[in-house]
Amino acid sequence: MKITVPTGDDAQPGVASIVIVEPEEARILVSLADQLQALLAEALESPIDDDSAVRRLLPDAYRHEPELADEWRRLSRRGLVDRKIGFARTLSRALAPVANDDLSHSVSISTDAALDWVRGIGDLRLVIADRMGIIVDGDEGTFGEPGLRDVYEWLAWMQDGLVQVIEASEPPTRSEAGS
Amino acid sequence: MTRVPAGESQGQLLERPVHAAEVPWTIVVWNDPVNLMSYVSWVFRRHFGVDAPTAEHLMMQVHSEGRATLAEGNREHMERHAEAMHEYGLWATVERAPR
Repeated sequence: MKITVPTGDDAQPGVASIVIVEPEEARILVSLADQLQALLAEALESPIDDDSAVRRLLPDAYRHEPELADEWRRLSRRGLVDRKIGFARTLSRALAPVANDDLSHSVSISTDAALDWVRGIGDLRLVIADRMGIIVDGDEGTFGEPGLRDVYEWLAWMQDGLVQVIEASEPPTRSEAGS
Repeated sequence: MTRVPAGESQGQLLERPVHAAEVPWTIVVWNDPVNLMSYVSWVFRRHFGVDAPTAEHLMMQVHSEGRATLAEGNREHMERHAEAMHEYGLWATVERAPR
């Protein structure tokens, strides 16, 4: 994979990055993103979060006020889950054509799509870390299939590259919350 | 809603029941072993609109002390921050401001 920022003659309006993706890479990402969407969809149906990965993806907003935590969950959870599913879906949809081909593709993404990728990849890392047993800073991860650690680190590299792409396409600081 | 403890209110003219809406709340971001330091810093810059040195300082506080307070205000506003942090995959909670 290569994450590039188109400049000069390659620059196109609305394109923040061109990502060159190998089919094998696309297949890994599509498979993970599809599993994440399923996990999130299940979480909406389940009254209790018995999966520690789900608890990390969708943490309580209050630690000491259970009633406020319940109220927040009732009001915010569905929307939050829908948006997280949307981030993962952006990844799957963009990469499905590459996964189904035997040649690498150049995938053009907008700043908005890059933001979805960054957050979807972050969620994938949270789930993988949970599956590997990464609990505190410095944990190497004891569980999971061989190669999972490489995928985990590859996702971090990808997320970092896309953050740089977004930074290059946006003004230096901007508050989304109007605070 | 908080109220003056029974037996202590008499003679304390400055004390009065405080409406819940007046109690300030904070948004706290907690350390986690997954998110990269550079990513956390970027989220702070992008979402809270703080400059790079401030974002770096807050990120280091999260990393070394386990938590940092990112903003203070009414509860609804802090809940919106919590939701945004969860969208970014950061672990954040809403807390009453220390009084």
